[in-house]
Amino acid sequence: MKPLRLWPQRLVGQVTLVLMLAVALEFIGSSILFENSRIYPNRNNQVQRAAEQLVTAEAILETRPEHERISRAAGLSSRSSQLEWTPLPHLVDRERSAERKLKDQFRAAEPSLARRELRMNAEIDRTLPRDTHLKVALKMRDGTWLTMKTKIRAAPWAVLLSSVGSAFILGLGVITAAALVLRNLSRPLRALAEAADKVGQGARVRVAETGAGDLKMVAQAFNAMQDRIAGLLQARTEALAAVGHDLRTPLARLRLRAGFVSETSAREALEADVDEMTGMLDSLLAYLGGQEDPEPPRRTDIAAIAMTLVDDATDSERIATYDGPEHLPVRARPLSLKRAISNIVQNALHYGGEAALTLTREGRMVVLAVEDKGPGIPEAELAHVLEPFHRLDSARARNTGGLGLGLTIVQQILKREDGELILRNLPQGGLRAEIRLPAL
Amino acid sequence: MQRELATAPVAPTVLIVEDDPALRTLLMRLLREEGFQPLSAAHGGEMARVLETNTVDIILLDVMMPGSNGFQLCRSLRKESDVPIVMLSARDDESDRLIGLELGADDYIGKPFSKKELIARIRAILRRTQGGAQASQPRGAQQMVFAGWQLDPGRRELLSPDGAFVDLSGAEFDLLLAFLSSPQRVIGRERLLEMSRARISDASDRSIDVLVSRLRRKLAVSGQAESLLRTVRGIGYIFTAQVERR
Repeated sequence: MKPLRLWPQRLVGQVTLVLMLAVALEFIGSSILFENSRIYPNRNNQVQRAAEQLVTAEAILETRPEHERISRAAGLSSRSSQLEWTPLPHLVDRERSAERKLKDQFRAAEPSLARRELRMNAEIDRTLPRDTHLKVALKMRDGTWLTMKTKIRAAPWAVLLSSVGSAFILGLGVITAAALVLRNLSRPLRALAEAADKVGQGARVRVAETGAGDLKMVAQAFNAMQDRIAGLLQARTEALAAVGHDLRTPLARLRLRAGFVSETSAREALEADVDEMTGMLDSLLAYLGGQEDPEPPRRTDIAAIAMTLVDDATDSERIATYDGPEHLPVRARPLSLKRAISNIVQNALHYGGEAALTLTREGRMVVLAVEDKGPGIPEAELAHVLEPFHRLDSARARNTGGLGLGLTIVQQILKREDGELILRNLPQGGLRAEIRLPAL
Repeated sequence: MQRELATAPVAPTVLIVEDDPALRTLLMRLLREEGFQPLSAAHGGEMARVLETNTVDIILLDVMMPGSNGFQLCRSLRKESDVPIVMLSARDDESDRLIGLELGADDYIGKPFSKKELIARIRAILRRTQGGAQASQPRGAQQMVFAGWQLDPGRRELLSPDGAFVDLSGAEFDLLLAFLSSPQRVIGRERLLEMSRARISDASDRSIDVLVSRLRRKLAVSGQAESLLRTVRGIGYIFTAQVERR
């Protein structure tokens, strides 16, 4: 669906068009305001005209005999002001500030009124636009009175705006409108920035290919770049995994050959080396293959897994204990979950000498804690031990054969099950690793 | 081990199907030393030729081979024969293991394996299958159901009454399978030891007791476990529940 043929496809065109529309709108708006402002005369002019009219009427009436004056005064009245001649005053002068001010204005407008007696009564409307109903009486030189009733229009708001800030407010309105339209234009850019941020954290994001023509091109290029990166990573991963698998056959030969070595200590050392290499390969392949594990998540008894691992450790004469219920189901991929727990238990046995497993339910989470009595992890290192290929740079870690992938794999596995791994040093020494998974 | 060989009238014939020549030679030498009569084939075609002219007791089948791979060979073998098959795989991958076992392989060993492990597994399988009528390891998709629990011998999986996957160690699984094969009969410690020896490193009466207590804990459902595996003082154990095969 094309909303408008005239809508330009490129960002520059779109921005230019919006700016042009804004300028045109501002121009038209201010012209209208300016025109309007001329329709409404300003207050001073009105007062001046009223004063002039009063003086002129007096000059005319003075030359007439008294019996003609009433009809003559009526004849001098106009639509906006009525004139009336009376021998006696019928207007009481109200000496309020509004009247005093108007009197001054009258006298300023017509200096001939300076020494004359004026009575004035000004009623200001309570409602907008607050026009002033003015009655003014002038004592003529023969002592009779000429009264004029007129209306002084208050300056309406549009007039005020035109003189003070109409252009400013109009400009503000136009700028706001333009900003809103431009904001809309830049939405694809913001989406792209957010996507780039997420991609940086390892997620795969498809950016919607919408918006101005050149932004669409950026989105397409971005998506294509992601595909290429993913493809490249995929190819590397597959190559590395293939090498990993291929290494197993020579390792198998090596292990079998070790069986023919007659010297016991040499054989055992050889076998230990092969075991170490196998362990490295296993963890590397688990790390590489972790992304696409074909195993489906299912109801899994985490207590049974913990017990099996503790029993295994006990069988190989390590100190491991389990405290918790006999059964506690969670939703997970059983084999990868076992690998995760096993990695944690192996770490505890290796660095901490012993592993104490406790399984509890904390609200909506199942918590399997593994505590050891080792030196723990320096606080500064806690955040980094989860990074792939990271190894603690301390003497006790130097004799380990791993690749530094153990905890990374654990975190990878738990993340996939909506769980998390929390590492914490215990106040009495030792490390507490918590595996947290959503309870069923 | 000596006793084992003595009971076998002739040396069992083992066919090794493996594309890596060096590993093939090594396996031949190793098996010969252990008193087996090894034959070898580098691929599926050669395997078929060997099988035409020889009677084979067990086949070691490598999974990753050029041409038809181990899984395909395993499937076609199963169509015509019940000969025990052990898959050897460079992918120590659980899904591979499950595919192998579902295709009818009797066991699955990930590379690299030790000589001891390989020989123990081969012996265990031969013991099971050469025992004649004894069907301790039923093949295929036969499920065993007891007291709400469900055991799949092919996939080596135990499901609790509420459908949760319950992890068992290899030895625990073999022991449970031994009980399920002879339900409601007293089984002596000696016999249990023999049935699950392939997985236990230091086999003793004591280790059977430990295994049984571990199994009891995993089968515990609100006090029901004690009655599932009852101790018969001085002799051994009895599995009390009825086992249904599906």
